Amino acid sequence: MTTLLFIIFAGLAIGCAIAMVSQSNPLYSAISLIGVFIGLASLYVTLAAPFIAAVQVIVYAGAIMVLVIFVIMLLNVEHSEPRRKRLKFLVPVALGMAAILIAETAFILYSVQTSEKRLPGNISDVGLTHSIGEGLFTRYLLPFEITSVLLLMAIVGAMSLARRTTVLSATARVVPGAQVLAMDIINPRAIGDRTAIETETTGQAAHLLGVDFQPDRDQEE
Amino acid sequence: MGPQLSWYLALSAILFTIGAVGVIIKRNVIAMFMCIELMLNAVNLTFVAFSSFFQDVTGQLFVFIVMTVAAAEAAVGLGIIITIFRNRESLDVDDASILKL
Repeated sequence: MTTLLFIIFAGLAIGCAIAMVSQSNPLYSAISLIGVFIGLASLYVTLAAPFIAAVQVIVYAGAIMVLVIFVIMLLNVEHSEPRRKRLKFLVPVALGMAAILIAETAFILYSVQTSEKRLPGNISDVGLTHSIGEGLFTRYLLPFEITSVLLLMAIVGAMSLARRTTVLSATARVVPGAQVLAMDIINPRAIGDRTAIETETTGQAAHLLGVDFQPDRDQEE
Repeated sequence: MGPQLSWYLALSAILFTIGAVGVIIKRNVIAMFMCIELMLNAVNLTFVAFSSFFQDVTGQLFVFIVMTVAAAEAAVGLGIIITIFRNRESLDVDDASILKL
């Protein structure tokens, strides 16, 4: 019975993983990746690890994949861009490296095949929430606290990365006709291009730089 | 007879290989990101399999910490992806060839 479940969920995971890599649309890849996560969570249940299975579904299939799909839909990139020719050699290289990895794995599995380790049949509390909580808060308290610091750092880092940086302050004023910008300030990809671009007003300069510019009300009136 | 430990290790190795191949083949930043998540999950499967075959809870605690790191990586990584797309109008990794955002 456990063997049958293993074959079903392992097949689901491998099939979804191959589908994920072969898809060209990132949204379909994300859906396939959720299939992999569900398959792995089912395998965790058969391995008597219900807490990890629940966390897998909640954190991976729930939180992380929702974030990924949110970003895919936010950016809304058309996936019909033509493939570039000079990248063709990557596919044989990847397949060769995959063959090497599989060969190494087969060698290791062949070496350890003699050890007939079976899943223990007796009931134990390893994998239940009780034993995991006990381990986290006694023996592994320091890694647990370091993890919380890591999460705080991730929050601050994500906020500072996603914030829109402003080049001009909202109260900046220039003399009309005198605002001259270099090309590499306006277009980040034109590195070292110092071609001067003149703008008439601060509003125009702000528009070129992609900054929201709201003129000060007091000075308009 | 139930599944043996080596079956889980083989499945984990296959999933890891598929993820590694995906990172090399894919040119879309988000697709590469998801392949990295797949590799993390393959390693998690190894941890859980060893943990329950040897009746030691330490492996599952490591899985818990790996999941936390993956969540932090998702937040920061997607922030970087959004910033790159905002500046370059593209998700192709070959367009993001300089370290400047």
